[in-house]
Amino acid sequence: MGNPVKIIKNGIIDENPTFSQVIGMCPTLAVTSSAINGIGMGLSTAAVLICSNLFISLLRKVIPDKVRIPCFIVVIATFVTIIQFLLQAYLPSLNASLGLYIPLIVVNCLILARAEAFASKNSPIDAIFDGIGMGLGFTVALGFLGLVREFIGAGTLFNVTVLPDAFPKTLLFVMAPGAFFTLGCLMALLNYFKNKKKA
Amino acid sequence: MKEIGRPALVLLIITAVAAMLLGIVSETTKAAIAEQSAKTEAEAMAAVMPEDGIEFETLYDVTVGDQLDGTIKKVAKAIKGGETIGYVLTTAPSGFGGEVSTMVGVDMDGVVTGLRVLSHAETPGLGALATSPDFYEQFVGAKSPVQVTKDGGEIVPITSATITSRAVSSGADEAVQWVNANGGAN
Repeated sequence: MGNPVKIIKNGIIDENPTFSQVIGMCPTLAVTSSAINGIGMGLSTAAVLICSNLFISLLRKVIPDKVRIPCFIVVIATFVTIIQFLLQAYLPSLNASLGLYIPLIVVNCLILARAEAFASKNSPIDAIFDGIGMGLGFTVALGFLGLVREFIGAGTLFNVTVLPDAFPKTLLFVMAPGAFFTLGCLMALLNYFKNKKKA
Repeated sequence: MKEIGRPALVLLIITAVAAMLLGIVSETTKAAIAEQSAKTEAEAMAAVMPEDGIEFETLYDVTVGDQLDGTIKKVAKAIKGGETIGYVLTTAPSGFGGEVSTMVGVDMDGVVTGLRVLSHAETPGLGALATSPDFYEQFVGAKSPVQVTKDGGEIVPITSATITSRAVSSGADEAVQWVNANGGAN
């Protein structure tokens, strides 16, 4: 049995899914055009991840090795669909901006990777903490990316205008290329500090 | 045989449980989802036909199999005190990134009373600005032909998003023409 704090810290910092493992890039690049979208996508993914990790861990002794991937996908797809129903019913505005990307959580390799690498080998409690850690790590990364892109590209933070109209906005940053620029710069910055710490 | 039987059985059980779960969630959220989409639509309709005490009656809806010309998807009649005062039409002209779902309110004289872009896939920061009041408020009072300034009309297009602006204008124009052709006696 691992230490919960350590597992969570591992997900957020040491093995951050976006900045260290560089997985789940499709939603990372596609939805982070604003801070709210990034955090919304991160939290939805985290919710799916926690549920799928728990169930896959509970079922890890029942699921035969040969059909484990289809089993994982069914469990993940079920939770994604449930989240989509709930968003449609109770958070329509978030659903309107994320709608297209929610079904894509199913094929987010972050979730399948955690199922395969962690949940299927560890106890349910540890799997929940791993889900929380990885989910939060993903949320922090997406939220931060969204924040930077929204600020540079639209001059707003959480939809509140912070830059005066006269200040030039770099529209490119809310479009697809901006996602790559921002991700690359943030990753370089984080690696710089990480290496400095080690040295 | 055991090699195939057990995995198949486990997979069957897991999918069956998943299907059951989804059925339950779908049933319990059905009412709330329908309510939300009805609410969104009602709000948009009230916004494009700004009058107190009106009721809407759906005349045509392509999703239930009605045939409509062009990109018109839905037509609703606005009734106030027993009299028809106008129509609310939903059109889906093609923009830069796909269909731009546009709701247009038109009164009995063929004058636009309001316009809202409901959903779109236009470029963020450019075509997506069609959802901002600076753009859509221009359509209030417009008559056929509704066109952007480049085409000789009065709608000032969004900078660098002429295709989107044209699409919304053509949607509005279609709505006005439909009312001019079918309004009045209906």
